[in-house]
Amino acid sequence: MKHKGSNLLEKDGTRAVLASLISILIGLVVGAVIILIVGLSDPELGLSGAWDGIRLVFGGLFSTGRSASGTLTFGFNPTNVGNMLFRATPLILTGLSVAVAFKTGLFNIGAPGQYLMGTAATLMLALGIPSKSVPAGLIWIIAFLGGILAGAIWGCIPGLVKAFLNINEVLACIMTNWIAANLVTWMFDGSKYRNLVENTKSGYIYKTSFNGVQTPKLGLDKIFPNSQVNGGILVAILIAVLVYVLMSKTTLGYELKACGANRHAARYAGINDKRNIVLSMAIAGALSGAAASLYYLAGNTEFFWSTYQSLPATGFNGIPVALLAASNPIAVIFTGCFMSMLDIVGLQMTNLTAYNEYITDVIIAVIVYLSAFSLVIKMALGKWGKRKAAAEKETAPVVPPDTGAADGKGGDEG
Amino acid sequence: MKLMDTQNIIEMLHITKEFPGIIANDDITLQLRRGEIHALLGENGAGKSTLMSVLFGLYQPEAGEIKKNGEVVKIHDPNDATALGIGMVHQHFKLIDVFTVLDNIILGAETTKMGFLQKKEARKKVEALSEKYGLKVDLDAKVEDITVGMQQRVEILKMLYRDNEILIFDEPTAVLTPQEIDELMATMKEFAKEGKSILFISHKLNEIMAVADRVTVLRKGKCIGTVETKETDKQSLSNMMVGRPVQLEVVKTPAKPTDVVLEVEGLTVPSKGHKRNAVNDVSFTVRAGEIVCIAGIDGNGQSELVYGLTGLEKCSGGKVTLCGHDISHASIRRRGGNMSHIPEDRHKHGLVLDFTLEQNMVLQRFREPSFQHLHFIKQGAVREYAEKLIEQYDVRSGQGPITVARSMSGGNQQKAIIAREVDREKPLIVAVQPTRGLDVGAIEYIHSQLVAERDKGRAVLLVSLELDEVMSLSDRILVMYEGEIVGELDPKATTVQELGLYMAGAKRMTKEGDPA
Repeated sequence: MKHKGSNLLEKDGTRAVLASLISILIGLVVGAVIILIVGLSDPELGLSGAWDGIRLVFGGLFSTGRSASGTLTFGFNPTNVGNMLFRATPLILTGLSVAVAFKTGLFNIGAPGQYLMGTAATLMLALGIPSKSVPAGLIWIIAFLGGILAGAIWGCIPGLVKAFLNINEVLACIMTNWIAANLVTWMFDGSKYRNLVENTKSGYIYKTSFNGVQTPKLGLDKIFPNSQVNGGILVAILIAVLVYVLMSKTTLGYELKACGANRHAARYAGINDKRNIVLSMAIAGALSGAAASLYYLAGNTEFFWSTYQSLPATGFNGIPVALLAASNPIAVIFTGCFMSMLDIVGLQMTNLTAYNEYITDVIIAVIVYLSAFSLVIKMALGKWGKRKAAAEKETAPVVPPDTGAADGKGGDEG
Repeated sequence: MKLMDTQNIIEMLHITKEFPGIIANDDITLQLRRGEIHALLGENGAGKSTLMSVLFGLYQPEAGEIKKNGEVVKIHDPNDATALGIGMVHQHFKLIDVFTVLDNIILGAETTKMGFLQKKEARKKVEALSEKYGLKVDLDAKVEDITVGMQQRVEILKMLYRDNEILIFDEPTAVLTPQEIDELMATMKEFAKEGKSILFISHKLNEIMAVADRVTVLRKGKCIGTVETKETDKQSLSNMMVGRPVQLEVVKTPAKPTDVVLEVEGLTVPSKGHKRNAVNDVSFTVRAGEIVCIAGIDGNGQSELVYGLTGLEKCSGGKVTLCGHDISHASIRRRGGNMSHIPEDRHKHGLVLDFTLEQNMVLQRFREPSFQHLHFIKQGAVREYAEKLIEQYDVRSGQGPITVARSMSGGNQQKAIIAREVDREKPLIVAVQPTRGLDVGAIEYIHSQLVAERDKGRAVLLVSLELDEVMSLSDRILVMYEGEIVGELDPKATTVQELGLYMAGAKRMTKEGDPA
């Protein structure tokens, strides 16, 4: 167990990354197999149609359409990449929301509710404050902070219930999700924010750009022309870095993690465990709220206000994003981008083949299952690594036992 | 020699078992005679449990053979062991919490008729066994509801129910009260008298001297030797075990107590499970430069008393004064300003097991300016401090400061906690069972640390269930019985017997201190 460098598999980080990559690969392969089965069973698609589909699953991000002769072409596609970054923005933040809670021993399945509350607050503020008298930039900031605050408050509720009544946060989160769904519907039901101008969009709330409020592009539209990308992705990345610093470099992060790993020991050390549970749920909620704010402040996104029957998928998709990232805030940036890439793949499939975007839902579903399974994969990798190390050791001189720690079975723990 | 061989019911010859990076058993030979109690003695990590796991079929040795009644046998799994009449009581019991006692006993050896359980016959057999050996159990109670002592009796009945003739006890006394230990010892002797053979794994010398016929000593995976208990004594056994002369008696000068550090007046702590208070109207003082020991049988309110003092539980009455401040209602953190606490349960309270050793070392101090600046943890300072403590207190671990606490041995986990708490240099040290489950070498070390702290002028409040520890370490003894302090004794002027009477509630002093 003390083999340094000789075996990368024995490093925890390497194993976590590998486990996630394996989950992703299996998900993509399963998607490919389904495409193949569907293709072979449908004479209109056939093997060549299936082959196109499979190539899009793995390389959809780099698809540039079809050439004049009808074959798929690939290359760098700035529009796709830009759209991927745009869709990744809220996923990164809900992923962070779930990851922070995981790190502190809590399961934040309440991200959809927090996201909805953030949506409501952001839209009300962004549309409600008259841009004639208040500068749009200021409205943007107020709406952004308002979304964060609303999410934080909504996250607090399960935290408070857990800390003071010892009710499982999963239960409380699921209930607050549906309360949020109904509350938001009711709030918008009679509001003046329903889009009455574009009569085909009767179920939607105005875009924030109607009030002149939208996230600046910060030049990203030059790099990724024709895409929806805006400065929000940079804000999301900045927040991810801040969360990383908070969790691993500060005393607050230390306290939160201590509470998560062992509430009793934290209390013993004079850490206020109740406060920390509420706080970590509030931070998680704030991140989900920020996800909604950045998505709806883009200016080109519309909110379907009648949400009482459905919860936003972006909230739930934060769970696989966090799981695939093994709750590492920096890794969340990449897994968030990956999940949004699958969205792009779905679009490409719909546009370029007879398949529809639901095939990517299958892939996402498989990856979600496997991401929960990635711990098992991680352990299996660990065993494999140890066996390899043991085999290498046959020839090497035996290291004298330095402690009883190495001998797990021989320890006499009271 | 031929005659000797037939006496041995089990022989483990030249057993070698390796794990990656460590030889847990190196050419170990152990011969168990019919009808003897054979102790296996060694420090934490010496390879005792590994050797027994080989015998029980949980591990396959790389070299060596096992003979039963002189014939070579292969034990591939615990089923083979059971078929050979080998039974084992594991250190951590293997019982199903939600099953009844009876169901647990018959599990895996159920008598059935056409696929239906025949519990009546089983019940009769278990009742007969329980009667015969005085192993009192409630057959219809669920395991989760019974005491640890009774759980152990269930494990023993499991072995008897399977008609095992070779019984392995892995650290059986670690979880028992002194009374239960005595009962267990008597039961073991009873078994031996009947011709059953017993392997008794322990690192407690008193118990081995009291009950075993022979002792095999292991050290760092090697067999040091087998001796007759009649021909040896505790000192030479512990020297064999540790590999150097060990100080069994605590060396200390008479205490020179000075100012009162902790004053407790009428402290009352409610009980979680019962209507009666767990701690009822308890008053005492601890002065600087003395070790005051709370003695008593487990479950008489000692834990709750400590919870009340440290703030882990709310008191319902009374006053606690620490260094002149009333802390009766202070937060845990404020109390920690003047108090170190070596907690009873090192896994629950003492350590964050998934944190690294260095993170655990600053568990109480990470807010201090030397470890943080503007709420940013000074990583370098933490590492340096952890390395200093590891060096100074000889905490051994695989990777030093970055070892995950969970992977460390129990003894070293405890040493880490003691290092952290003692180094905080607070006027009061509350130490609850600081040596529980540790071996002689570690106990010697921890005792000398506590005495050294006392001599530096700290007040030490020790809670212990071990009578030896109480008698040798303390300057004053307070006996707790049913949540009250029933006596204050001077360890130099009292005897273990007298202490025992107070602990059992048979004797008590009035408030003024006279025996009543």
